[in-house]
Amino acid sequence: MPIKSYRGIGDRFQSEYKIYLAVLVIVIIAELIGTKEFSIGPGAMIFFPMFYGLILGVLLVPQITGFFKIKEVKAASTLVLVAITPFMAKLGVMAGGNLPKLVEVGPALVLQEFGNLGTILIALPLAILLGLKREAIGATHSICRESNLGLVTHVYGPDSPETRGTLSIYVIGYIIGVIYFGFLASAAASMKIFHPLALAMASGAGSGSMMAASTGVLANIYPDMAEDILVLGAASDMLTGVTGLYVGLFIALPLATKLYEFLEPRMRKISLKSASTVPNAEEESKHENA
Amino acid sequence: MKMRDWTFLLIIVSIIIIVSNFVGYDVAMMESIPGVLILAAITLIGYGASKVIPLKMPMILYVSLIGLIVACPISPVSDFVIEQTGKISFMAPVTAVGAFAGIAMGKDLKAFKEQSWKMVLIGIVVFTGTFFGSAIVAQIVLKLTNAI
Repeated sequence: MPIKSYRGIGDRFQSEYKIYLAVLVIVIIAELIGTKEFSIGPGAMIFFPMFYGLILGVLLVPQITGFFKIKEVKAASTLVLVAITPFMAKLGVMAGGNLPKLVEVGPALVLQEFGNLGTILIALPLAILLGLKREAIGATHSICRESNLGLVTHVYGPDSPETRGTLSIYVIGYIIGVIYFGFLASAAASMKIFHPLALAMASGAGSGSMMAASTGVLANIYPDMAEDILVLGAASDMLTGVTGLYVGLFIALPLATKLYEFLEPRMRKISLKSASTVPNAEEESKHENA
Repeated sequence: MKMRDWTFLLIIVSIIIIVSNFVGYDVAMMESIPGVLILAAITLIGYGASKVIPLKMPMILYVSLIGLIVACPISPVSDFVIEQTGKISFMAPVTAVGAFAGIAMGKDLKAFKEQSWKMVLIGIVVFTGTFFGSAIVAQIVLKLTNAI
C-alpha cells in the first residue's frame, strides 16, 4: 500500500472513521432507492444500488465536493479490497453448493466457458490502439463483472491501472450491459448460423442480469425451446460463477498480460497518445491541487 | 496489511453488509449475523492460508477455495454454511464495494474521464467478443457431440 502505515487500530479508526460512516449512509440511501428497471424499446436498463453507491461516493471526492481529502481517498482503495473479499467468499460458497451440478452439465457447456477468452484477442489490441496502457489488461481479460473485479483488485492491487480498467468496464457493463446483451442475442439469432442452445450458453457470461436479458430475448424468438434456453443460460452463468475465478487467475489474466507486453511496445507508434500514461506524475500534481 | 487490520476492517464491512441486507432486502439484522460471520471467517482463514502456504498465489484464491470446500457436499457443515450465507443477498456486499470504490475513484477521476469514451468502445467489443466466442465454441461442440 502506498499509504502511510497506521500505528495501530486506534490510529486507523481515527483516520478512517469518516469513511466508514459515509459509506454506511451511502449504503442506506442506495438500498432505499433500490433496484430500478427502465424499459427502453425491446430491452431494459437496470440500475442496482451498487451503481448509486458508486456515484454518491464519487460526489464526495476532493475534485467534486471535497468532503474527503486525498488522504482519505487513498485509504478508501484499501477498503475496497476488504469490502469485496466477503463477497468473493460468498461466490466460493455458492460454487461449492453448485459443485454436483457441474457433473451433470455436458461438455459443450464446460468448453464454451473458454470461448470467453477469445474476446482478449480482439479487445486487447483495440484497447492498446486507443492508447490505453496497463488498464487494457484489466479491461479486456473478461466481461469484468463483480467476481472479476474482486480478482483483479486482489492480484494487481486496488490502486493499479489494471483495476481501474476492470472497474471502468464494470461500470459500463452496468449502464449498457443488460440492454446490449439483449441486442446481441437478437442480432445473433437473426444471423441464423447459431443453434438457439449455443446462443443460450453464450448468454451466461457471469452476469445474472445480462444473462436474463439475453435468454429472455432468445426465449421470445424460439418459444418452443424457451424452457431449455432459460435452463441452459442459467447453468452457463452458474458455471462461469464456479470457474470464472480460476480461469481468470490461471488463464485469462496471464494471457492478457503476456499479450499486452508483446503488443504494446510494437504498437506504440500507431497507437493514440494518452495523457494518463504517467500515472505517478499525474498523482503528484493532484496531490498538490488537493 | 496485518491480520489485525483485516479483522478490524472486516468487522466494519460486516456491519455495513448487515445494514445493506436489512434496508435493501428486508432481512432482519439478527438473521444476517451468522452469515456475515461465516463470510468474514472464510476471508480470515484465506488470509492466514496465503501467509502460511509458500505458493505465490493471491489470497483471493484461498478465500474462494475455502468457501468452495466448506460448502461442497462432502463438508459436514455445508448445509449450515449454505443456509446461513444464503440469507446474505448476493448484491448486498456489493453495494458497500460501490461506495468505497466511488470514493477511491477520486484519485483517478481524470483518468476515468479521459478514458471514458474509449472504455465504452472497448466494453462493447469485450461483450460482443465474449458472447460470440462462447456461441462459436458451443456451436462447434454441440455439433461434434451430435447434440444438435
